[in-house]
Amino acid sequence: MSFVNFSKREVQLKIVYYGPGLCGKTTNLQTIHATINPHAKGSLTSVATSKDRTLFFDFMPLVAQAIDGYTTRFQVYTVPGQVMYNTTRRLVLRGADGVVFVADSQWSKTAENVESFADLEENLRLQGDHIDQIPYVLQYNKRDLPDVAPVHYLEYTLNNRAARRPAFMAVAPDGRGVFETLNMIARMVLNRFVKQHSRREAESPEMVLV
Amino acid sequence: MAKVLNEGDVARMRKVLLELLDRSEADGCVVCDSGGYVLAQEGRGTTDPLLLSALGAGVFAASRELARILGEDEFSAVFHQGERKSIFLRAVTPEVLLVIIFSNTANVGLVRLYASPAALAMRAVFEELDAGVHRDDPERAFVLTEGGDLFGAAPPDKDR
Repeated sequence: MSFVNFSKREVQLKIVYYGPGLCGKTTNLQTIHATINPHAKGSLTSVATSKDRTLFFDFMPLVAQAIDGYTTRFQVYTVPGQVMYNTTRRLVLRGADGVVFVADSQWSKTAENVESFADLEENLRLQGDHIDQIPYVLQYNKRDLPDVAPVHYLEYTLNNRAARRPAFMAVAPDGRGVFETLNMIARMVLNRFVKQHSRREAESPEMVLV
Repeated sequence: MAKVLNEGDVARMRKVLLELLDRSEADGCVVCDSGGYVLAQEGRGTTDPLLLSALGAGVFAASRELARILGEDEFSAVFHQGERKSIFLRAVTPEVLLVIIFSNTANVGLVRLYASPAALAMRAVFEELDAGVHRDDPERAFVLTEGGDLFGAAPPDKDR
């Protein structure tokens, strides 16, 4: 759920990076934080274990001039991917305006990807949202590894709903696909926000595969 | 739909927060929602309200889960004590949280004492907001700026 402060002429929107453990959610944020224009970012904060696994969330605020006359602040979070942290995932997902589902492209991670996507659907449902109604994009990460599933297979397993969503191939540590993913979800979230406030029905997003 | 604060809401919240700071001698305070959005802020010691809200909402949500384990509905307040600075978090509504930062020269008892009426006064604002009572919102005309990508990598050797 977005937030508008007319007094400060400010809009706040929340984007959550979701996906199985070790799929590269935190790496996405680290790459964005390391390379983005300094004027657009705040500090990147990670609540992690001593072994750098996300325990609670990573958080990074971004600012943009995306709406005429308003400062637009994106609050970007990751969830902890490990199965046992489902309660935490639900807490972080609360009020999300958009989701990036980061999938690990390796064949061996197929089951974890599918399980995590089902987990996302369920957690959205529990907070009164529906996966088909919320803006989300998919990112097929780790495309540089040797044993990756072909994109059409990932599309078949993860992007086979009635309205197919934008999907991006990525190598998060190198930055490949990282900003494409971020820009797409930011635009989708903004479009939905503007449409909701124009009291028009949202259109189904078209599929984009990069 | 979005949570929307107009000038009147902000002014009412500001009055409550300034009164709280004045009476409790706290340094600063932030009002945030359970999603981590910053709804209002006043005073000093809140140099990064976005982060404070994100972490405050997380801490409070975690404490709510702890309460549930103990068979409580929730802990209405959470207190973190440091050597120089402390934080007091107080539920305003199930969805809104008041975060108060104070140095240890201030009295925690005063902070606790005045946090409660401040939370009640704040709750009235949000209950009216949720009920849509006497809303005088400005024209909601949001127009996306034209242009390409919103975000991109900074050029090498510039601003780095």
